[in-house]
Amino acid sequence: MTTPPHDRERDAATRRDFLRTGLGAVAGAAGIAALHGCAAMPAVGSTSSSMAPRNRPIEALDALDVTNGGTDPYPIPWLDRNGSHNQAPGPGMEPSSIFHFRGKVARANDFSGMGTDNQGRRVAFGAKSTDFSFMSGEYFAGRQARQGAFGHI
Amino acid sequence: MTVIPDGALVVSADGRRASLEISGLEVIDQPMWPAHDAGTTPARLSYRVEWEATDERATYDDPAKLFRATGWRATTRLRATVEIPSTGYRWTSDAMETSRAAFGFIGEEVNGRYLGPG
Repeated sequence: MTTPPHDRERDAATRRDFLRTGLGAVAGAAGIAALHGCAAMPAVGSTSSSMAPRNRPIEALDALDVTNGGTDPYPIPWLDRNGSHNQAPGPGMEPSSIFHFRGKVARANDFSGMGTDNQGRRVAFGAKSTDFSFMSGEYFAGRQARQGAFGHI
Repeated sequence: MTVIPDGALVVSADGRRASLEISGLEVIDQPMWPAHDAGTTPARLSYRVEWEATDERATYDDPAKLFRATGWRATTRLRATVEIPSTGYRWTSDAMETSRAAFGFIGEEVNGRYLGPG
């Protein structure tokens, strides 16, 4: 079962955690939101060395193995009914943002630090919602186990 | 959430260290968020995050929610660059060592059907 496109867009528009509250906010160039529009790439789990070194949104996986429901991983059902795979990390919280998963996972949030823009201005970044994570391993989608690695900001 | 390209994620054999490095991630600059109909501008984000386990073991689990994660609290650092091509704006963080995260975790997790009986 996949999430309707309009839900994806809405949820994406709420996931500006990292830059809205962090890198861009002080700069006046401001918040950077979620992730869209990356190039089509081979299927998850592919070991092809020809894969371009860029991200693609997991929504692209909906188009793979369509007859079995797509290869897009499931969100955590009780935390994320809209399918945005977005949930706050923290002690006691589930680290993974995908369901039916087993593998390596890491999370971090509440970053702080400094940087400089091309006008020479010193700009701080970071907030509680500055959140990075990865999940790498086996997940179940489209009626079968698959291998994949996913990142979240 | 995005698919991580081959080679971008490196996890040590013992599972106690990891790095994730992404270049040119297409994102949206939305200065007026959360205002309704806030305008957006295409932007690019490049970043590297490093996790390193501390000596503090951590287990987060909830049988009712079908998850169990075991690992370590982690020290986490970040380096990033943001570019907004349409305005020529660019921002680069200081050296990775100068950043920090208040919370970090690295380990393994099992959830959903993989945690069920049998």
